[in-house]
Amino acid sequence: MSKINPLFFALGIPVVVIVVLLAIVVPRMGGGGRFADLTPLSVEAYRKDWATLQGNSYRLDCQVEQQLAFVEGRGRVLAVKPIDKDPARAVGRIPVFIPAGSADSFEVGQRFKCKLRVTRDLLVVEALERF
Amino acid sequence: MRSLLLGVLGWYALVAQGFAQAPPPGPASGGTAGNYSSSTVEGGADRIFDVNTDSVDLENGTMQWKGTTMNLGNTRTVRARFERYLAAPTDNGDIKRYVQILDQIQLLLSPQSLTQANYARNQQEAFNLLFKAAEFEFDAGNSLTIASQVQKAWRMNKEYQMLEISANQLEALRKTQESVIINRADMIEMANDERSQASGGKAKVVTKTQTGTTELGLRVKDEARTQAQILAKGTQMTALGLKAKIEFQSQMVAFLMARRYRHALVTSAFYRVVFNGGSQDVVVGAKEVKEFFPVSDFVPTLESIDMLSREAIKDVGKGMQTVDDLVKQGELFGAFERLQETFFLGEFEPVVMLYPQEKKREMMGLWKDLRELQRLGDERDLANVESYVNKVRGRARDFPGAGIMSKVNNAMNASNMSLLSAKAAALAGENAKAEAALERATKIWPQNPAVKEFANQVVSRQDTLAQKIPEFDRLLEESKWRDIYNKKLEFALALAQDKERSEKLRKVVNRVGELDANIQKAAMLASQNNPYLAWDVIVEAYKTESDDLVLAKTRSDIAPLVAAYARLIGQAERLEKDGAEAAALAAWLSAQDLNPASPACGAAVKRLARSVAESAVVGSAAPAPAPPAAEDVPVPPAR
Repeated sequence: MSKINPLFFALGIPVVVIVVLLAIVVPRMGGGGRFADLTPLSVEAYRKDWATLQGNSYRLDCQVEQQLAFVEGRGRVLAVKPIDKDPARAVGRIPVFIPAGSADSFEVGQRFKCKLRVTRDLLVVEALERF
Repeated sequence: MRSLLLGVLGWYALVAQGFAQAPPPGPASGGTAGNYSSSTVEGGADRIFDVNTDSVDLENGTMQWKGTTMNLGNTRTVRARFERYLAAPTDNGDIKRYVQILDQIQLLLSPQSLTQANYARNQQEAFNLLFKAAEFEFDAGNSLTIASQVQKAWRMNKEYQMLEISANQLEALRKTQESVIINRADMIEMANDERSQASGGKAKVVTKTQTGTTELGLRVKDEARTQAQILAKGTQMTALGLKAKIEFQSQMVAFLMARRYRHALVTSAFYRVVFNGGSQDVVVGAKEVKEFFPVSDFVPTLESIDMLSREAIKDVGKGMQTVDDLVKQGELFGAFERLQETFFLGEFEPVVMLYPQEKKREMMGLWKDLRELQRLGDERDLANVESYVNKVRGRARDFPGAGIMSKVNNAMNASNMSLLSAKAAALAGENAKAEAALERATKIWPQNPAVKEFANQVVSRQDTLAQKIPEFDRLLEESKWRDIYNKKLEFALALAQDKERSEKLRKVVNRVGELDANIQKAAMLASQNNPYLAWDVIVEAYKTESDDLVLAKTRSDIAPLVAAYARLIGQAERLEKDGAEAAALAAWLSAQDLNPASPACGAAVKRLARSVAESAVVGSAAPAPAPPAAEDVPVPPAR
């Protein structure tokens, strides 16, 4: 019977745990996640001239502030507040449209990472994930 | 004077009657004449006259004395006579001596002086004194009139005596003729007797055929003629006596009615001695004398005339004493009234004629002021009445001006109230009513300054109407609400009768009034450090009243305080207008972040969110809204 060195277990298990944790936390800390490949939405640019953003997809980290409207079969309009790591750059609320196909529920204060597409002047949420 | 005062009062009372609906306290005759019973100086008058009956009515030229109306002449003459009396210098002369002479005449002719022995001598002596009395100025020659009358009576008396003698002679002739007739008749009867005796005895032949009847007839005829002559003489004597009596009595009554009482007394005294006892009843003027004595079966006598004359002389004397007393007490108005009454009762009495000139001058001044006051009253110049009342009060502190002023004020108020009614009616477009009220106001107080002012306003209003209507139409067409609002009162007056334009004016006034309320609200919010809400109010008002200068100024005042907010709202409105509802919604949300309490933002967000949700076409190729202006195109964001 082979005998594994107990020291191996004593060092190996914490290392595995740390690696797993890093695999989970690092992507989040880095702002990436599912939509890490997308450009963050410039709210300021949108407000100044949405036309230049038309047809583009962006990533938006935001917090639900208020549901402004809900139309059965159409979707809902939410007022969300973009989350910026730099508090000095914090901007006000913007409206986003959640099409009716989404099975998610939205509560005030929930935070999401969204993939947005600028359709005409409307910010349509194509995908999202809570965080 | 009382006529003046009561005339004024009466008039004012009549004036006040129409408006205050108060019964007029004025004269019953309805004219300006009064009954002259002054309540203010009634106490003094009671001592002299029976104020319930004694009065002077200058309006009618009559005087009431002891219940009888004495005609003084026409109004103008009466006034002139009294005015002349006040203005004329006082007569000179020894009044005492004059009165003594007249008294002496009466004494000589009085029953206690006359005896059988001095009957003719006293008459002659009294007759001579008449000529002495006539020498005095204040006698005015009336004693000569009496003397003439006496002399005429004496001459008539002699004629009467002559007629009496003639009648006696005729009677003697008639008696002689009667005795002749009787004689002739006896002779005829005797001849007849003799003839019958001779025919019975047939012894003698009757030779005498003439019986004397022819002569008898002639004698009877003569007697009848004499009787007729006697009757004629009797009639002539009666007529002569009656004529003398009537002429004398006429003169006596004329003196009484002319208020020359002393001459009436002297005439009466002569009458008693000139005429016998059977002629002492009053024939001439009996009716007039009876009026002084309201007794149904009263028989006027010479004593009645004497009594009236003496009573009048006594009243005049007491009247003048009262005048003096009132003057000493400073009650000039009362003194003036008493003097006037006394003058008309006994203007020829020496005591009246010798009233001091300086006092008469003072009365003259008061008389003129009162005449002027009456004139002002007649002309209804109410504004000047007060000044004249004060002027008269300055002269006569007992002048009852308070009552006059009270009535003047009532009349003024009544006039002004009528004028207000006229204005109200004119504004309501009731021209007939306005005209009637204006006429009433003018009738009460023709010189009311407010009437003139009203007339000017009416004229001015006509001009204004001609100018204001086109101006209103122009401003309305140009939507210059503020300009209309600023002239709303002028337009309201000018357009009062134009219902259509008045309604438009009302709407404009309400519109600008509401706008002003919003502007004030915005200003107040801004001052309370709440500029965003203020801006909301401004923006809301601006949607409809963008041309209003006051709103624009307020907007420009508040705009710097809310530049970012204003920009966001402007941007939102522009985006919405361009069809970019989602972008507009984003702008509204940003604005709401600045002003969370904004109802405008809330409403816009709600409205646009709903619209966006309903119109969202995901994945379709809907036409894109127009891009923003080139200068608004931002620099692309840095990745």
